[in-house]
Amino acid sequence: MKVVEKKRTRKDEVYKVIKADDKWEPIGHTPMPEIPDLRNWDLRLLKTYKPFYAPFCDLCCFCTYGKCDLTGDKRGACGIDISAQQARIVLLACCMGMSAHGGHARHVLHYLIERLGPDYKINLGDQILVEAPHIRTVLGMKPETLGDLEKVMEYAESQLIQCVSSLHTGQEGSALDYESKALHISMLDHVVMEVADIAQIVGFGYPTSKADTPLVGLGWGAVDRTKPVILLVGHNPVTAVPIVDYLNEHGLADKVEVAGICCTALEVTRYSERAKVVGPLSRQLFFVRCGIADVIVTDEQCIRTDMPIEAAKVGSALIATSEKVCYGLEDASKKAVDEIVSDMLNHSKQVLILDPEKAAEVAVRVALGLAPKRNKVLVKPEEVPELAKGHRLCNMCSQVCPNLLPVGDAIEAAKNGNIQPLVEVFEKCIGCGKCEQECPRHVPIFKMMQAAASWEEWKIRAGRGPIMDTEIRKVGAPIVLGTIPGVIAIVGCSNFPEEIEEIAEIAEEFAKRKYIVVLSGCSAMVAGMKKDKEGKTLYEKYPPDFDAGGIVNVGSCVANAHITGAAIKIANIFATLPLRGNYEVIADYILNRVGACGLAWGAYSQKAASIATGCNRLGIPVVVGPHSSKYRRLYLSRKEEDDWTVMDGREKKLVDTQEPSPEHLITVVESKERAMVTLAKLCIRKNDTPQGRQIKLTHYIGLHKQYLGTLPDDLHLYIRRASDIPIFFKKEVTAYLEKVGWKEKPVLSLPTLIGTYPSEVPIDAVVH
Amino acid sequence: MTMTLPYHRVNVLTGTKAARIIEDPSEYAHLIKRASRPLLVLGPRILTMSLGERLLAEYAVEIAKAADIPICATAHTQKKLLELGVQPASNYDLIEIINHLKDPEWRGVKKEGNHDLVIFLGVRTDLGEQGLSTLKHFAPHLKTMTLCKYYYPNASYSLPNFRKDEQWKEFLDKLIENLKTKEA
Repeated sequence: MKVVEKKRTRKDEVYKVIKADDKWEPIGHTPMPEIPDLRNWDLRLLKTYKPFYAPFCDLCCFCTYGKCDLTGDKRGACGIDISAQQARIVLLACCMGMSAHGGHARHVLHYLIERLGPDYKINLGDQILVEAPHIRTVLGMKPETLGDLEKVMEYAESQLIQCVSSLHTGQEGSALDYESKALHISMLDHVVMEVADIAQIVGFGYPTSKADTPLVGLGWGAVDRTKPVILLVGHNPVTAVPIVDYLNEHGLADKVEVAGICCTALEVTRYSERAKVVGPLSRQLFFVRCGIADVIVTDEQCIRTDMPIEAAKVGSALIATSEKVCYGLEDASKKAVDEIVSDMLNHSKQVLILDPEKAAEVAVRVALGLAPKRNKVLVKPEEVPELAKGHRLCNMCSQVCPNLLPVGDAIEAAKNGNIQPLVEVFEKCIGCGKCEQECPRHVPIFKMMQAAASWEEWKIRAGRGPIMDTEIRKVGAPIVLGTIPGVIAIVGCSNFPEEIEEIAEIAEEFAKRKYIVVLSGCSAMVAGMKKDKEGKTLYEKYPPDFDAGGIVNVGSCVANAHITGAAIKIANIFATLPLRGNYEVIADYILNRVGACGLAWGAYSQKAASIATGCNRLGIPVVVGPHSSKYRRLYLSRKEEDDWTVMDGREKKLVDTQEPSPEHLITVVESKERAMVTLAKLCIRKNDTPQGRQIKLTHYIGLHKQYLGTLPDDLHLYIRRASDIPIFFKKEVTAYLEKVGWKEKPVLSLPTLIGTYPSEVPIDAVVH
Repeated sequence: MTMTLPYHRVNVLTGTKAARIIEDPSEYAHLIKRASRPLLVLGPRILTMSLGERLLAEYAVEIAKAADIPICATAHTQKKLLELGVQPASNYDLIEIINHLKDPEWRGVKKEGNHDLVIFLGVRTDLGEQGLSTLKHFAPHLKTMTLCKYYYPNASYSLPNFRKDEQWKEFLDKLIENLKTKEA
């Protein structure tokens, strides 16, 4: 092939996008990385934290060669084995998750750029100068306008195409390389989440540069059902915001209730403190079937795919507002508002409206028109036995329950006048409705749950967006030195294995121990759904600061980028490491120095998979609940067998630390007790000072003794010198160390993986 | 051939290799006794489930003692086992012990070599099935067995779905009795 003329290289293109001439920081080795660019970092991580696969299905049914049985060492007709197939499905999940957040970001950006223009400035307030830690670190770009965020999206989308294409039959054959791609696209998930939330904050004027956001009403009991009720379901605020605006502009703000389920609730309460958070995803079907909503407005992600059927059952009007979720409805976007309202009120028509302002006006007018005609009476406890009278204990409901709950026994007890078992089932219910669907006698289980549910009102602090630079300056040193024992990020969905109160219990345990507790999404909601003896929720009891003992709600799913962003900011603001296209250095810093750990106790979605995997590439371990074993893959070490050699960055020599910190990158645990012990352990980092290590071990030992009854049997692995031994447990720990023949271990001045694998990054890059 | 469904439908098998259902406690006992290095892995449901007057944890301890099987106490089960006077040989969590068991060269909880029979009791069924799936695919060097009252398709040997707890209790009682009896 004749090369006619040398065209622009990729480097030229990258440097143009990131405005390389703007010298705010030196450009690192991987600006706008493609799949191979961080592959060696991934392979280094996966050398220590090897993929662990638990196949959910032994077959592959992706192409017409199949079904192929991949059991054991069998390969499919294309040559794939069971490990690569699991990794392939993980990548697929991560691509779905990233594209869901990316689709959200794209929609918000389009909407805002149409109204505000591409040159609209990004300003997150006077306390936040590092406005986009992920975009700075991954792309090497400092976004200044909404238009810049579009360029970020174009890059992320180009990577998504490459990753999705690798899923095709006859492409990638290595499990490790599928994992590397999953890590790549999940890193970009945090980038697109950051785009979405920055755009929302600046475009909608959400709170920023402040910690004490308003406390807002939480719980289905917080919704005043004597008023017309508009229920928002999903994640995207593009229609929720105009609804609030319409109500304000027409003097209706105190006459109509606006409430949300799932993340749109968190979004709308950032915009209006009058709005209510009904609850997490697990309460969606329950609340819809209560019939309290006069109008249901759906946007995107985690919404019931049978919402038209459910809304019609209880006489709620339905407006779908996202091109991603059209439900087969007529597109009424171009019709006159009067006509749509008339169709909905007089003919119970459900519609798709893709014009947010029009959807907002229709929602309000239909709610006002419909509410007086509707009956919102809830089932009382004394009515439950009558509803259950047809019940026979066949236990089909129990058998189909994804949370393995004894639903049948609870219904039987309720039939006989004892509602308490049903109360307990409701507390653990994930809200899928399969029990009722399966019942051969059509017992209205969800209706009965209206009597079992608490109708109490709780409080949640509205999502506050990014952690402030000023907060990072204050806590950066204590976190890195270990004197703040860790940051516990409780995130994700509501597929909880046990009572939803467990989230509040775990959050409070760590807040009392002076960890920093950060929450988002459905987990942020349920953390507020418990009161102490004085009637206070966690959000009323603990300070909202990103500081020791604080409990912080950053916001919705896309606000998760601010949690990982805070870890990046520590590397930048406290350790003065440049972020620009410098991903390996920053991830290495976080892995070895920032004692942060995520907990996704009820993760269910593909978004949760990509969020967690993105944390992992950045060096943040994650603990997940038992349902998450169905994601099929974990990253685990074997503490006694694995090699824990790292580089001492200052001495430039390899050191066998013999210390498994952090022990895993993502692991499943079965009980909340074990989760707490594991979280405390996974906050230990090689960089801890003796004082910091003492504090971290005090909590690890304390929790281990409390819930497992003994000193940890791996304690000796985490004590480097006698000065690491916690004073409070000194006597018994010293005796234990003598018993196991403990010997002193090397202490490093600057632990790093850079230099232990092939990389263009020089060791000096980690020295700050 | 009709397909046996697990009690919890989320655990339905999508594959071709399923557990052998064994209803005879003497056959179970024989398999356990025949094993060179069995291991009993206990999950947190032993702390909340009861059979008759006795906590499932007490049954677990009796089985371990009857056949001299070392215990791996997962989740937060260790504390109760200590209260019952039993020192577990290991305190790995469920996924961690499975991760070790995958390796044929691993030295086992007693440092005597990897285990050839791993018996599970008290793990939630969905997590248990996933863990058993890992061992089915990646640990051909060992067999797995379940003692819970449900059918586990991914195990090597499983009990059937017992409709009544009394059936399960009878099975465990007879299993213990058989384990205490020396084989010829």
